[in-house]
Order: sequence, then C-alpha cells, then structure tokens
Amino acid sequence: MNAVMPVNWVGLLTVAKREIVRSLKVINQVVWPPVITTLLYVFVFGLAIGSRIQNVGGVSYAQFLIPGLIMLQTISTAYDECASSFFQGRFMNSIQELLVAPLAAGEILVGFLMGSLARAFLIALLIGGLGVLLVHAVPQNWWLAVLCIVVVTTLFSSLGLIFGMMAERFDHIAAFVTFVITPLTFVGGVFTSATMLPENLRSIELFNPIFYIIDAFRYSYTGTGYLPLGYSLGAVTVLAAVAVAVALRMIAIGYKLRA
Amino acid sequence: MSASALRIDGLVKRYGDFVAVDGISMDVPQGAFFGFLGPNGAGKTTTIGACVGLVRPTAGKIEIFGYDTERQWRESRRLIGLCPQEINLDRYLSIRDILIYQAGYFGLRGPKVRARADELLERFALSDKANGEYTKLSGGMKRRLMIARSLIHSPKLLVLDEPTAGVDVELRLELWDLLRRLNADGTTIVLTTHYLEEAEALCKRIAIVRAGRIVTEQDTTDLVRDRDLQDVFLELTR
Repeated sequence: MNAVMPVNWVGLLTVAKREIVRSLKVINQVVWPPVITTLLYVFVFGLAIGSRIQNVGGVSYAQFLIPGLIMLQTISTAYDECASSFFQGRFMNSIQELLVAPLAAGEILVGFLMGSLARAFLIALLIGGLGVLLVHAVPQNWWLAVLCIVVVTTLFSSLGLIFGMMAERFDHIAAFVTFVITPLTFVGGVFTSATMLPENLRSIELFNPIFYIIDAFRYSYTGTGYLPLGYSLGAVTVLAAVAVAVALRMIAIGYKLRA
Repeated sequence: MSASALRIDGLVKRYGDFVAVDGISMDVPQGAFFGFLGPNGAGKTTTIGACVGLVRPTAGKIEIFGYDTERQWRESRRLIGLCPQEINLDRYLSIRDILIYQAGYFGLRGPKVRARADELLERFALSDKANGEYTKLSGGMKRRLMIARSLIHSPKLLVLDEPTAGVDVELRLELWDLLRRLNADGTTIVLTTHYLEEAEALCKRIAIVRAGRIVTEQDTTDLVRDRDLQDVFLELTR
C-alpha cells in the first residue's frame, strides 16, 4: 500500500464505478423510463400538438421542446441517482463501507458526482439521439451543451446528496421531487417559452432557478435565449457551487452518517 | 511504529445528556487477542465505532499503531478492519466484487487485489458463490463474507463486533478456528461478544465494560482463576 496517499484516487474512482454499476443494475428503472417518457412527450406534445403551434424562437415547436426535455430528465436523474443511492446506503448501513475507508469527504462527493454524471450523460445522449432522429434537433454549440449538463448534474446531484443525508424515510426524498423539482421544472420552460407567457408571469419566472437552467441549455440548441447566456449560466453555476459546498460540509461533519 | 495496536485514552461520547462512553482508557498490544465484553448498551459498539471513524468522540484520544484517528485518520483507517454487528453488505455487487470494491475504497486495485479476494473466498468457503448475490447466502455465509470483507485490505488490527451472533455451533467453532489462525499469523484482534465461553476460549486478555466505563481489565487466566467468567461478568455488570 502507498505510504503517502494525499488523494485516494483509486477510492474515488471506485465510488464512481460502484455508482455506475448500480445504475446499470437497475437500468429498467432508471434509464429506459425517462427515455420512453421523453419519446411520448415528443409524439404527443412535439409532433401532434406542436404541429399546430407556430415556430418558437426560429425553430419548430418540436425542436424547441427537445432541450427542455433533456434538462427535465437530466435534473430528475441527477437528483434521483444521488438521493436514492445515498439514502439506501444509510438505510442498509452499507454506507459504512465508505465511512471506515480512508476516503475524504471530497473524494466521496466527487465519486458520487462522477457516477451521476455518467448516468446523466447516458440519458442526455439517448434523448438527444431521439431528438436528432425524430425532429432533427441538433445542438449548435456542443461545448455549451456539455457544460450545461455538467453544471446542472452537479447542482442536482449535490441536492440529491443533501436530501439523501437528511431524509428519514424514502418518501422524504420523493417529497422534494413532487413538491419542488417537478412543479418548478414544468413551469420553468420545458414546454413553453417565456415569450409565450403573460408579462406578469414572466417576472415570476425569474424567481424559478430551473428557468435559468433550461434557458441556458436551450441556448446551446437555438443560439438564443430569453436571458443573456452569461446571466443564466452564471446563476446556475453559483447555485451548483453553493449546493456542492453544503453537501461537502455535511459529508465532512458526518451529518446523520457518523454518530 | 507504536508497540500498541490500539490505545484509547479518556474516551467520552455523549448523546445529549446520555453518556454512552464515560472515560474509557485501554491499551491493546500488538498481536493480542483482546476481549471487550459488557451487557447491551454498555458502550462497546460506540467505542469500536470511535476507533474506526463511525462515531465522533466527545473527548479523548485514540491511536491505531501510533496513528491518531482524528489527525492521521487515513493512516489509522488503513490499518484497521471492522466486521460490524449488523449485515451491511452492498446489495448491488456480486460477492467477489464486494471484496474488490472494498479494497478499492482503501486505495487498492489490480491483480494482487483480485488474487487476495479469491484467496479470502477460498479460505471462507465462498468460492463457488463468488459471482452470486449476497442476499442468496445463508446467515452463516453472510457472516463469513463480512469477515472476509474486513480482511481484504490486510489490516493489522481486526475489530469484530459480535461476529458469531446468530450462527450455529458448527460455524461458530469454524470461525473460532479461523480467528485463532489469523491471530497466530500476527493480526491483532479485538472481539466483542455476548458468548462468554467464546471470549474465554479465544481471548488472552479481557476488559469488561459497564455503563460506559471499564470495570475490570485482566488476563483471561487471572480473571477466571477462582470462578467461571459468567459469575465474574454478572458480579461486575449487575
């Protein structure tokens, strides 16, 4: 064994690999459902109803819809991956495998984030592929698309870790999705452009963090956004940094992990 | 390196007003087979938890082979292996992978780790189950897998928290034999158990704890010189 181990890289990568293995073990539960749901959204909203809607921001409604749907599933996947894995680990006590090992809080956090990123990118690629095949929606700026997925996954994975640590029962994890993430996502611009909303609702939308996320990601597809790109991407990055800091601190002090 | 495998100095753990551990100090020399006995709620698991990093001490100091568990936690954790009381295996991994991933968390990988995992599976008679799920194992096999997992990173100090709870007599004797061999090979062992005959048969030195305090610590032969261990235990813990 190494005499000096400033960063336990093998440990960190093992945490990430374990998360990927876990996702693949439950692939029918975590990968195919979002893909199939998205396919249905595209058919029903994008192609059937969307054909009656005029172009939105210079693209067809179906093409407008794809980046919103990718974000919808990325957000949900990132949160669910970390929240359920961490909570299950606490519930089954298998999290102790990590806690007794020479792993720093940052290594555990980054390991979980990497596992979550792998799952988020897999789902984003599958849904993006559907977008290309079905409605010819292709990102104009791939780097921006990748950056948005990384930042958004980091934000919601960290939130997942936070709630995975705080939750006492499984329904506590689901409650955050039901009462916060889902409503904010649906009104955050997945299906509609801010320009479609009445003036007074547009100002309310500015208090919805998910509006900034979807606006920034849609920019990578359409090259335009309701807000300036730097503003929306900056807001998401600040939120992600705060969530990472809180999750890191909670793991470091062993919140509900170490007695 | 320190002559002590485990040194605990004035360990205190409070949960609000409840004092779970009230100033425990003890010294387990390298190579010892040490029994840590006490009734339920006496503070055994809390003390063990503090040694491996699962419990944050309120006060006191713990050293593993001279490494402070707070300041030099990476070094101390690399030297200690824990077999906890409750089954806490990873249900998403195969039996062989449970060992390989645990080694990974300790910073170990490669052919040597895979060979070590196979060796442990062989030693614990689990080779034919290696690719299966642990949930399909019998209670005794799960116990064996738990001990194998705690040994994957070749710890110099092995802490066993009631490792034979709920296992049948035959397996218990098998595990005793295995623990004796581990100890003979140089692994220091700290064992908590409610089976007093187990402690008497295996441990060369025993500490008895009650209400978070050590009430006696002696060589086993001295402790049972005039009476059997059960009488001594009941007298000290009632």
